[in-house]
Amino acid sequence: MPDPNDPFLARSLQALQENVRRAGPAATAGYTLIGAILLLGGAGHLVDRWVGTAPWFLLAGLLTGMVVGFYELAKTIWKP
Amino acid sequence: MLMRRAATDAGRRDSNIMTSAAQHAEDTHAAAGHAADDHGGEAFDAGEVIIEHIANSPIDHPILHLPHLAGIDFSVTKHVMMLWLVAGFLFVVITLATRRFLAQERPIPAGFMNALEAVVQFVRDSMVLPNVGAKWVNRWTPLILTLFVFILTANAVGMIPIFEVFGLLDRFVLHTSEESLLNSVLHGGATTTANYNVTAALATITFFAIIVAGSLAHGFITHWKNLVPSGLAWPIYFLLIPIEVMGMFVKPFALTMRLAANMSGGHIAILAILSFVFIFNQQFESQLLGIGVGALVSVPLAVGVSALEIIVILVQAYVFTLLTSVFIGMAIHVHH
Repeated sequence: MPDPNDPFLARSLQALQENVRRAGPAATAGYTLIGAILLLGGAGHLVDRWVGTAPWFLLAGLLTGMVVGFYELAKTIWKP
Repeated sequence: MLMRRAATDAGRRDSNIMTSAAQHAEDTHAAAGHAADDHGGEAFDAGEVIIEHIANSPIDHPILHLPHLAGIDFSVTKHVMMLWLVAGFLFVVITLATRRFLAQERPIPAGFMNALEAVVQFVRDSMVLPNVGAKWVNRWTPLILTLFVFILTANAVGMIPIFEVFGLLDRFVLHTSEESLLNSVLHGGATTTANYNVTAALATITFFAIIVAGSLAHGFITHWKNLVPSGLAWPIYFLLIPIEVMGMFVKPFALTMRLAANMSGGHIAILAILSFVFIFNQQFESQLLGIGVGALVSVPLAVGVSALEIIVILVQAYVFTLLTSVFIGMAIHVHH
């Protein structure tokens, strides 16, 4: 916690640092959820284009992405 | 190699877009006849201008021509040049400062060395130590510190209008030719971390660092066994192992997306806000309106977003490196 006797700039920097430190896990969780869906959905889309089975691998990729994303989200939230 | 090819493709696509846009502009120009001349040039296309200021310079017109090796074009584009400039700048400045400090008789840091020491201490004590633990902190601090300083500088360089000043000088004072080195340096964005290929390469370092960290702490085989908790009913493993393996790739991918998206997002916002000036000027054919919008809306807003960008620069460098140390720590201290 920032010390009220410090100069204004030092207190601001300390407050920023503290907030960023606490926001770190939230940033991980949010982007991992989106990242998993994008990565696996994208991989599914590529497989679809390669084999010509649209839209099945895309759908499977998006679903798997959600599963992996939520699994990682759960791991971040229920950290021991 | 894949990334390089992607970069080449992207460059080619960009240049295609630009060529077709140029053709389109020419067509409209011809159709409009003399009407366009009254406005002093072709129509303003905000999208094209913004992409030009964010994307890498086209590989067809590189800054430095280099030969193809194994089918990969090694020519230096704007982002590659900025990568080397940032790396070289950091190497020279930090090495010189540290050497001068070590040569001192009384080891008291002053000036730049003081700031550098504060950064090193901050990274070691509040990022690496809580995540990695006292046993491994000295092994992983150099990597994390390098990532932090590099990403921070690469982010920050994009906010300094070096090339914009060069562009002004070139346009009004120097008048160099289209093919000159100065002119070729002016194309493309200066923020390397806004390029997905760069952040993907940085995240690849993280990916391998996680594996190396786990292998050093537990042995190579045990590191892979540690991915899933032991002692569960065997059908669960059919679900868990694929999910964990995919999660292994998702983490660096999320790092890639976050850094590049945040860095390009801020620049796009600033450029879009500044584009209002030209859009209003063109739409209502009034220069006064354009200047008014610029003075009252665009510039104050752009200044505000730029201030926000300074925080984003710090936060994104911090988040990337913090998460790298968190992932390394997770590979070392396995909790299940």
